[in-house]
Amino acid sequence: MASLEERIDALTEAQLRHGLEVFRSKLRAAEAAYLNACVHCGLCADSCHYYRTEPALENVPARKLDHVAAAFKRHFTTAGRLVPRLVGARPFDRAMVRAWLDSVFGRCTLCGRCSLNCTIGIGLPRVFRAARAALAAMGLVPDDLQATVDNSLVHGNNMAITKEDWVDTVQWLEEELQMETGDPGARIPLDKQGARVLFTVNPREPKFFPLSLQASAKVFWAAGEDWTLASDPGWDLTNYGLFNCNDEQAGRITQNLVDAMERLGCTTLVIGECGHGFGSARWEGPEWLQRRYPFELCSVLELMDEYLTSGRIAVDPSRNPKPVTLHDPCNLVRHGGVSEPQRRVLRRSVAHFVEMTPSREQSFCCGGGGGQLAMAAYKDRRIRAGGMKAQQIRATGAEIVVAPCHNCIDQLMELNKEYTLGIQVKTVAEMVAEALVTAGPSPSEGKTTT
Amino acid sequence: MDQPLHLAVIAAAAWAAGTLAWVWLGVRGFGRRVLLAPPAGDPAAGVRYAFTAAMLPWAKESVRMHLPSYATGIVFHLGTFVAFGLLAATVAGFELPPALAPTGAIVMLAGAGAGLALLVKRIATPFLRGLSSPDDFIANLLTTSFGALAAVTLLHPQLESAWLITAVVLLVYLPVGKIRHCVVFFSSRAYMGAFFGYRGTFPSARQGR
Repeated sequence: MASLEERIDALTEAQLRHGLEVFRSKLRAAEAAYLNACVHCGLCADSCHYYRTEPALENVPARKLDHVAAAFKRHFTTAGRLVPRLVGARPFDRAMVRAWLDSVFGRCTLCGRCSLNCTIGIGLPRVFRAARAALAAMGLVPDDLQATVDNSLVHGNNMAITKEDWVDTVQWLEEELQMETGDPGARIPLDKQGARVLFTVNPREPKFFPLSLQASAKVFWAAGEDWTLASDPGWDLTNYGLFNCNDEQAGRITQNLVDAMERLGCTTLVIGECGHGFGSARWEGPEWLQRRYPFELCSVLELMDEYLTSGRIAVDPSRNPKPVTLHDPCNLVRHGGVSEPQRRVLRRSVAHFVEMTPSREQSFCCGGGGGQLAMAAYKDRRIRAGGMKAQQIRATGAEIVVAPCHNCIDQLMELNKEYTLGIQVKTVAEMVAEALVTAGPSPSEGKTTT
Repeated sequence: MDQPLHLAVIAAAAWAAGTLAWVWLGVRGFGRRVLLAPPAGDPAAGVRYAFTAAMLPWAKESVRMHLPSYATGIVFHLGTFVAFGLLAATVAGFELPPALAPTGAIVMLAGAGAGLALLVKRIATPFLRGLSSPDDFIANLLTTSFGALAAVTLLHPQLESAWLITAVVLLVYLPVGKIRHCVVFFSSRAYMGAFFGYRGTFPSARQGR
């Protein structure tokens, strides 16, 4: 396959026009306002983890926006058509395509921290998603990112795990769960018809972090939850269509979840610990499918919070004595609106919880978002940009970093090595599972002791 | 002498209002996004938050880190608003109470000084220079001159013609470049607030759900 550079060189005028049309089709009034609004004050610069770790012009959010706005002005505004040089308007040509590619794929995790810190309030990620969509329409998504999407489209999960391997892993974990709990009735149900909850996971769990899935299963077991996993497509919560910004492909991946819910007759779709998985299923999915879901959807963090608040499960924080801090995944917190359940859960489950500064919606991206983990060409930038998160972690003095997102976990583990942080990285469920207090008759008999 | 200039200012203001309305309608013409995901919060509360607390230092890191620039920007805008107020009063034939003249002049001079400071910062800061187009310099120079001449006119009314000519140029230029943010600032911030409000991030994630 031709490289991205070769593909850009080979772009025809018709392809460029098509890219511009797709870009235009993704804009609504909000994005049009954003593209007209930047005053080049530069106050956004320090909000960006790319700029903070490498203070270069091309890393300034306003500069990244400017590449997109320049083409917008040139093709869609009167001033841009009449006096392009005066207002910084430039045509959408191959040079511009290169600038877009470098800016919106290569130097941005779509984390949105710049939006909160923008003088005007420009929602840069929404504009960059439209630009990514245009590049996708011209076949200019970095190959490894597109391959991840293709895996989901072809295999029903982004790591191309076969059904046989998935089912084997679940059955093996069920045996492990039974040994851990001492309850031969402890189950990790597959395809249980009519279960209340369909639980979805990141394929990294069965592939690399099975204990994470086992921890979630243990919590469900302790809560006596009526739940199931799906054996067919619909068990994978990830959707890299959020990152390649091909909405048609993203919609097809979302449809796997909807189909699984309908096939199994579940009432609540529970998204496991994954920022972009939550963002794509909760917020973007209905837009991609152009219909509302006929079922409830929540994050497993909200569910665990509910278990603890209602007394369905009990925990002993002394079982997690090491200092713990929490990473806020951008798609879960800033763009997802879920910031407190995980905090309530951790405050109950660990002995020493310390917040990062800044935290919640102002938290820094770990650097792995926006599909960066899947784009090898930008790895050096990703690791460097993660330096802000490394600083944040080090300042807490925590020995354990909890990240309710498997993509973030991958990045944090790399940062741990690169910046010699000396930390362990865990999920919220792993902390809860460790702290679970169960006694007496087994939860599988529906008698959890709280 | 001033009567034709007053008419020119009115004509230029009409041009500015008309073209800004054109810009605003153009933005609106892109259409609304129909959201199908159920909200987690209140978009209206998000908008209110975006225009109030979200702009204050304790909620906004960029403000905390750049307080001098932030304060300079506020003074620049304040001086400009006062200058426009004075322009409206002048064209409408209202006499400014003499007691207010020194205060108005100080505010507008401070605004012009702030504008000049921002211009120097733009020139002196490499990444800001790299970010700038000719419009960034022209817009600043026009606005700063307009504010400065307004202040001078208050103290030396014989210079009013120069100020009114500057006002005409500024008003004619206004919708062309970045000063159009006088309109799109409000829509951008409202859209941003509504977005984060809908998702439950604003008013503040610290309140959670």
